[in-house]
Amino acid sequence: MSAPSPERLDVIRGREQARRFTADVDVVIVGSGAGGSVVARELARDGRSVLVLEEGGHYTPQEYGALPPSQAFRRLAREAGMSVALGMGDTPLISLLAGKCVGGSSVLTGAVCFRIPDEVLHTWSGPLGLENMTAEHVEPYFAEVEHICHVETVPDQMRSRATELFVKGAASQGVEMKSMKRNTRGCKGAARCNFGCPNGAKMSVDISFLPDASRHGTTIVSDARVERIDTAGGRARGVRGRFLDGVTGEPNVPFEIRAKVVVVACGSMHTPLLLRKSGLSSPHIGRHLTLHPAVRIGALFDEEVDGWDGALQSVYTDHYWDEGIWINGVYSAVNVLAAAFPGIGPEHRRLVKKIPNLAFFGGMVHDDGGGQVRRWISREPLITYKMIARDKARLLKTIRILGKMAFGAGAREVMLPVFGMGTIKSEKELDFLAPDAVNPIHAGRIECMAFHPLGSAKMSTTREAGVVKPTGETWDVENLFVIDGSILPTSIGVNSQLPIMGISMMLARGLVANFEHHARRARG
Amino acid sequence: MVPLVTKDFRRTTLKPRHRPLVRALAEALFSPNGEATPERLDTFVDDVDAFLSPASKTLRFGLVMMLHVLRWSPIFFGRFRLFEDLTVDERVTHLERLDHSKVKQLPLIVVAYKTVLTMLFYEDEDELRGLGYPGAERKRYLNVLPPAKVAS
Repeated sequence: MSAPSPERLDVIRGREQARRFTADVDVVIVGSGAGGSVVARELARDGRSVLVLEEGGHYTPQEYGALPPSQAFRRLAREAGMSVALGMGDTPLISLLAGKCVGGSSVLTGAVCFRIPDEVLHTWSGPLGLENMTAEHVEPYFAEVEHICHVETVPDQMRSRATELFVKGAASQGVEMKSMKRNTRGCKGAARCNFGCPNGAKMSVDISFLPDASRHGTTIVSDARVERIDTAGGRARGVRGRFLDGVTGEPNVPFEIRAKVVVVACGSMHTPLLLRKSGLSSPHIGRHLTLHPAVRIGALFDEEVDGWDGALQSVYTDHYWDEGIWINGVYSAVNVLAAAFPGIGPEHRRLVKKIPNLAFFGGMVHDDGGGQVRRWISREPLITYKMIARDKARLLKTIRILGKMAFGAGAREVMLPVFGMGTIKSEKELDFLAPDAVNPIHAGRIECMAFHPLGSAKMSTTREAGVVKPTGETWDVENLFVIDGSILPTSIGVNSQLPIMGISMMLARGLVANFEHHARRARG
Repeated sequence: MVPLVTKDFRRTTLKPRHRPLVRALAEALFSPNGEATPERLDTFVDDVDAFLSPASKTLRFGLVMMLHVLRWSPIFFGRFRLFEDLTVDERVTHLERLDHSKVKQLPLIVVAYKTVLTMLFYEDEDELRGLGYPGAERKRYLNVLPPAKVAS
């Protein structure tokens, strides 16, 4: 099925606003990503007046689909794609990708969709006491979200030649690869999902949830930086902030929104900042951040693999799940891949010229909450991450597994994600990553990235243990909800887009069911 | 490219004093044997500035500080010249030294700028074609479409 033309989304561009803006609505939602868009749709369909405020700009799928990767990054991603988590101690510097546009990070995902694994839900519903987080209870919400954003299995024919070699390499290690599911409709295998789909085929929320919300009366405003949640008598009353100036990009024209219910959905990097700035005091705000630290390796083959021709990600294995390791196929834009190649000058150029022969294999670690989000001297947070020894061992093992798979597939040379290190030509050269290596590598030398920041405003059954109740409402302020990835109580070990949408759908339905109760409180 | 309704903010990060340094860095990374024309290197500095400028003030400040460290870094290795005053070959050798330095922060400077500059340099359509990249053309998905669709 080919991709239909995405529906036009009406968005008020904040950077074009010259006069103070005020509104009085039932619900104001801060953030238009995987969490906020789902909540907006549900409440708007219930007949509530809904206003969505997004700090980033608005670009249509036709616009961002035509942007080269670097131009997409600088317009759609936080810090132009240069956000990092600073490694504390024996921890890598971790680059972070998060969206800052209408549609949020869903515009920049690889479209990979997994439900929350049963083992994780067992922990949430068992030891953590979150009774609604059972597989049976969340199932209908996930099923509905999957239907709305068209989650489908990637056909085998859409695997790139690079992925076929990955599958072969995995088989050489006795590992079976499985086909992924992704939220696409009419994917043409451009292998550049992370910069906005060039064909409008990725069913990101700006194509799936937000147009439906808009059809039901939701107002969406871009370039709107919320600076504070207004509260009175322990209840949320609305939000205030300023639109970004169209010339300087700095906050300028003020806005103030009165609302019966405020939903914060800024993601794990910014939700804690807004809560803190608004006076919430839970010690858990900004703590317990998990990232799923990820690595990728490059494998040079004699044959041309043209890794760009096929789905960006199409296979995975849960073979190492019990060891906290998730292995999956990856690719990216050619110039972005080249940016991580080793060497300077001629050596770097030698490898860049081999790019048609290069395949890339990836993996990530199911980590413990070693991250922290803090306010500091600028709008963007200071993010630190301390990797525990277990997770470092998992990361090194991931690299070894990927290296063995690459050689098993017949790679002639392998590029490891280790700063300052050239290519290796034999499996034996992976031994420095072994647990019993004579000179263990410092994690600071590992080139590491993350795409799934979660858990910085976690859900709990008691005020002492977290930031929000099982309903998503904060323990500190009534009628203030947090519904995004920051409330997930632990790392989930799989890509976070669908889990955020599914949990958001569940919480949004709860909010719909109890809206009159919240409205009465607001009036009182 | 599709014209954008949302216009870019007009910001700059690189001051005139930074530009020769970024140009010299790009020359060492991508044109050690004169592969890129002087005009290309000049416009490339504009591309770098445009890419960095949407970032927060803090990050831009950090990136500019890194440039200053890079400028003076030859002194750490006993060379009393600024980075941009080294010959191209000397710059390549110097960057390799920084890349392998045991002082943790020095390789990060190389990695940070090499990452940004490489992404921008190899975005050029001529460069991509030279690498064998076919542009937007894809073939594999045609195997998935219904036969009638392929025929049309």
